[in-house]
Amino acid sequence: MKQDAAFHQQPIGFLKSLTLFILFLTTFLFAFESRIELPVWLQITGRLHPLLLHVPIGIIVLAVLLLLLRAQFKSKQFTLLITYLLLFITLSAAFTALFGLLLSIGGDYGADTLQQHKISGLMLAWLSYGVLLFYQSSSEIIALKHTSIILLLGVVVFVGHTGAGLTHGENFIWEPLQKTQPELDPETLSLYQLAVMPVLDKKCFSCHNEKKAKGRLIMAVIDKFKQGGESGAAFIPGNPDSSRMIQFIHLPLKHDDHMPPDGKPQLTQPEIQLLKAWIKSGADFDKKISDYKPNDTLVLLAGQNTSFNVAPAYTFKAASADVIEKLNTPFRTVFPLHVNSPALQADFFVKEYFEIKTLEELKQIEKQLVSLSLSKMPVTDADLKILSRFSNLEVLNLNSTAIDGSGLENLISCKNLKSISLSGTKVTTESIKSILTLPQLKTVYIWNTAIDVAGKAELEKTYPHITFVHNLFTDESTLALSKPILVNEGILKATDKIELKHTMPGVTIRYTIDGTQPDSVNGMLYEEPITIVETVKLKAIACKPGWYCSPLFESSIYQEGYKPLQTELLAPADKQYRGEGATSLTDGRKGFVDIFKEPAWLGFRDNNFEAGFDFGNKPPALTKVVLSYGDNLGAYIFPPTEIQVWGGDSKDKLKLLMTQKFSEPKGYRTPHMNFITVNWETSNHAYYKIIAKPISKLPLWHGGKGQKGWFFVDEVFFY
Amino acid sequence: MSKEFIDHRNHVTRRHFLGKLSLGIGSAALGSLLIPDLFSKSESPLASLGLPHFAPKAKRIIYLFQNGAPSQLESFDYKPMLNKMAGEELPASIRMGQRLTGMTSGQSKFPLVGSYFKFNQYGNSGAWVSELFPNIAKVVDDICFIKTMHTEAINHDPALTFMQTGAQQGNRPSMGSWLSYGLGSENKNLPAFCVLLSRGRGNGQGVYSKLWTNGFLDSVHQGVQFSSSEERVLYLKDPEGRDRADRRNMLDQLSQLNDLNHKEFGDPEIQARVQQYEMAYRMQTAVPELTDLSKEPDNIIKMYGADCLVPGTYAANCLLARKLSEAGVRFVQLYHQGWDQHGNMVGEMPLQAQDTDRSTAALLMDLKQRGLLDETLVIWGTEFGRTNYCQGDLSKENYGRDHHPRCYTMWMAGGGVKAGTTYGETDEFGYNIVRDPVHVNDFHATVLNLMGMNHEQLTYKHLGRYYRLTDVAGNVVPGLIA
Repeated sequence: MKQDAAFHQQPIGFLKSLTLFILFLTTFLFAFESRIELPVWLQITGRLHPLLLHVPIGIIVLAVLLLLLRAQFKSKQFTLLITYLLLFITLSAAFTALFGLLLSIGGDYGADTLQQHKISGLMLAWLSYGVLLFYQSSSEIIALKHTSIILLLGVVVFVGHTGAGLTHGENFIWEPLQKTQPELDPETLSLYQLAVMPVLDKKCFSCHNEKKAKGRLIMAVIDKFKQGGESGAAFIPGNPDSSRMIQFIHLPLKHDDHMPPDGKPQLTQPEIQLLKAWIKSGADFDKKISDYKPNDTLVLLAGQNTSFNVAPAYTFKAASADVIEKLNTPFRTVFPLHVNSPALQADFFVKEYFEIKTLEELKQIEKQLVSLSLSKMPVTDADLKILSRFSNLEVLNLNSTAIDGSGLENLISCKNLKSISLSGTKVTTESIKSILTLPQLKTVYIWNTAIDVAGKAELEKTYPHITFVHNLFTDESTLALSKPILVNEGILKATDKIELKHTMPGVTIRYTIDGTQPDSVNGMLYEEPITIVETVKLKAIACKPGWYCSPLFESSIYQEGYKPLQTELLAPADKQYRGEGATSLTDGRKGFVDIFKEPAWLGFRDNNFEAGFDFGNKPPALTKVVLSYGDNLGAYIFPPTEIQVWGGDSKDKLKLLMTQKFSEPKGYRTPHMNFITVNWETSNHAYYKIIAKPISKLPLWHGGKGQKGWFFVDEVFFY
Repeated sequence: MSKEFIDHRNHVTRRHFLGKLSLGIGSAALGSLLIPDLFSKSESPLASLGLPHFAPKAKRIIYLFQNGAPSQLESFDYKPMLNKMAGEELPASIRMGQRLTGMTSGQSKFPLVGSYFKFNQYGNSGAWVSELFPNIAKVVDDICFIKTMHTEAINHDPALTFMQTGAQQGNRPSMGSWLSYGLGSENKNLPAFCVLLSRGRGNGQGVYSKLWTNGFLDSVHQGVQFSSSEERVLYLKDPEGRDRADRRNMLDQLSQLNDLNHKEFGDPEIQARVQQYEMAYRMQTAVPELTDLSKEPDNIIKMYGADCLVPGTYAANCLLARKLSEAGVRFVQLYHQGWDQHGNMVGEMPLQAQDTDRSTAALLMDLKQRGLLDETLVIWGTEFGRTNYCQGDLSKENYGRDHHPRCYTMWMAGGGVKAGTTYGETDEFGYNIVRDPVHVNDFHATVLNLMGMNHEQLTYKHLGRYYRLTDVAGNVVPGLIA
């Protein structure tokens, strides 16, 4: 047994000596703390303090627990066990104290609590050594020995508490119980106090207060916060991106300088936005909410982060969401002016679906309704009675309703009415007077009503504080009408007629189809759709008293005429512009003047346009052909220089019926569609051949002078 | 109010579902212990929508886009120095070696050229307007001019795309789509975002549907292009021989089928389609009334000019824009082509101005006399400006101007805008900005602000990150807001 004891005594002896050495070393360092320059590698051991400190705490707790259970052990074994535990406590407490001291040299902590923690920690280490010696002594007062161990636990609690105060802030434990929600009053407190400081308090102050001052930065005191820490200013007013605190917040979480440090509660995105916005707006500590513009980003963010009301504009209660949702239909929308606002606006749409019942239903929100639009709804004066319930109504739109104003007196209970729109109604100078005494009324819109300029002047005189908005755009000059509109564009079938119209009521349209110019007296009066038997150039103008006649409307109107049974190209179209071959000529599809790649067009340059048209066994009597072509001189696309018409019984037996030559254009002109008519003596041939020659040399005035020009044709018509 | 914004958060797609399944069940169980009201009904579905973020100054936008870049130097940015120094070389100290387009980088000379058209001051605000815009000149006291717009692109397509979608490359949602997504439609019988096109008589540049695309947003937010023909919304009429009851019956059957499909696959696009069918059905009632101009009083026709009765003209589009906006369409986007005067400034600019000046001013006044200008934001804008030096041949009678992204003029009027003011200043050569620049992103941020939205919070998650109209930049310009 003795050997046994000696075997156990040896390591105890060594560990006791080691502990004593550490204790002396720590005490020495503590005494000369101010003169120590700490090497970097030792700083690392210092940072092990928060880890190591849990070891003595745990073992002390274990030892105390074992004391309660000592009846379960054999007495000798128990003493040995407690001895070991005390040894480990002493050893770990000594190392913890040493590391803690090293940590305190490397870091910045509030002075008072730190000093308490240091002294108490060192004392704990010495004390536990003392308890170890006492426990090993031959003293027989077992109860005293055990009491000393329990005392040790008490000291540990105190040391631990001071340490926790350093990392988590003073009063860490009791804080949740003590916290009472202080009334945040935007009237007396600055925006900083209301919104910014609470964020800093939650996330920053625990390390950056007067006691702990990490990085020598004290944020909890405004003046010191402004001064900054050891590396400089924490923020630069107006420049969040260059402000150190914002930069540190944005560093990667694992980065040494990331704030708050990894493991501490992090700032949320809205909190970061708030801090940035506060710095951006100048990092002011004193300005109140009311000093900022209401839409200021900072104020909005502040409103989201805190519970105070940014814009306490309306005192009435919000309507329930269910009520609002039920009131919304496709023809009646009801919604709050903005988020968190109790004030509502309602608009009505599509008069066909308006019923007076739909207006009456708004009484469910009679207090909340501040803006109402009944524009264009068939509302009558009698219906205005419903509006008298809306006591908070500020803006009312009754434009183009059926009222004459006799029911406006109902609005006299709408004491908050600021603006009313009555444009396009039958209100009169008299009928409108009943509302003009409303105290808040500032603007009345009376354009296009029975109130004339004199009536408006009279009203302005009597009610000088109200703005009456009347006709704002007066222009006595005479204007020209717009052109008549061709209703049926495209190629007309045999029974189709030309239809013209004009969107202004009361105009007369005059037209010609013989190429002459119509004017206000010449030309035919358009009274009914025009019948045509061939392709014509339609010219038309619109006139109306009080206006100048419109500019000339011109259009080629194509009649489909007689269709050949078969069409063939006798010479190929250019390979780039083949369209759909010969069928493009009679498919009834017109090309566009700026898209010649379309299949409606056939283009010719190197050879003539030469096409055959077969009318079969019973050919109609024909007398003219119309070629519809494109005219875009800038794109080298010209009218033909010559057209020949050949006719006969078949392709091989043809004789020339007509040749017509055309003079070349004299200069550039707007690209347009045009057509050429070639007439001949009436004939009954089965087969016709049409030849059109492209211009072989572009004229001297043209940019491509001397080069070959193009001929583009989209349709051929026979009559 | 629309619930699109919150719906986006609520949509459970297959990928979302699988991704959340594993974590979801455990954390929901834990969450329900710790957060007692986790599974109780949220207090107000509208409150959780979160939009508009604050009281909006304007409810609707009409955006008059002048496509091709109308010259600021012939319209609103008066630079007499250019007339004095006409023909002299653009000083290097002004040009500072800045980028040119390929169209003029080869020019050996960059002769300055002043406006051929005279300028005068108008209104109480004393705004300078050229003689080409006599009617806009009458309404300058309702307008806030921005002289210092600047952009990043120097060619039409990227600049146009940047201006309209916040990115040069395309495939991002356009401004109107963001508005539709954020605020939804006021009038459920019409699209929230309508597009109207017209063509002027000057040198034109194309517009294309990527400018009104919904991008990665749900397809209900796509701009609906109105036709320039008489039938402004194509295929809206029931086919011959079919009446409204038939159509209703067909839609009911169809939506049952679609519902089945949706239950099986859960694809939100199926719901989007059903919604679109329903809206098209209601549009059959709502649209004919809107596009029927025959009931407009004579004095309205006179205001806008007789062209407003001709479908497809800018004037007709202005009138239609007013009617759509009046009917609660959130965003009406006009494009008017023909403003690309590389040459023949003297010939083409007056034609372009003639086609747009009267109806633009009329639109402002028409809104105002109905009490709508206060709640409608009207924007007159373009993709960039034009150079102060001449492109091509310079003569006494004519000249041209190249693209100039470093400064250009836009203006806004109506809801929440500082009326009767001019914001920013360009140098006396009209080449660089000397005070208060407004970048395209800043402009977008400001417009969203006027509509009650914080541009940093109107976001959509796509490809793993949150996108915004202003993406990662943009500051609200307080100087533009009343």
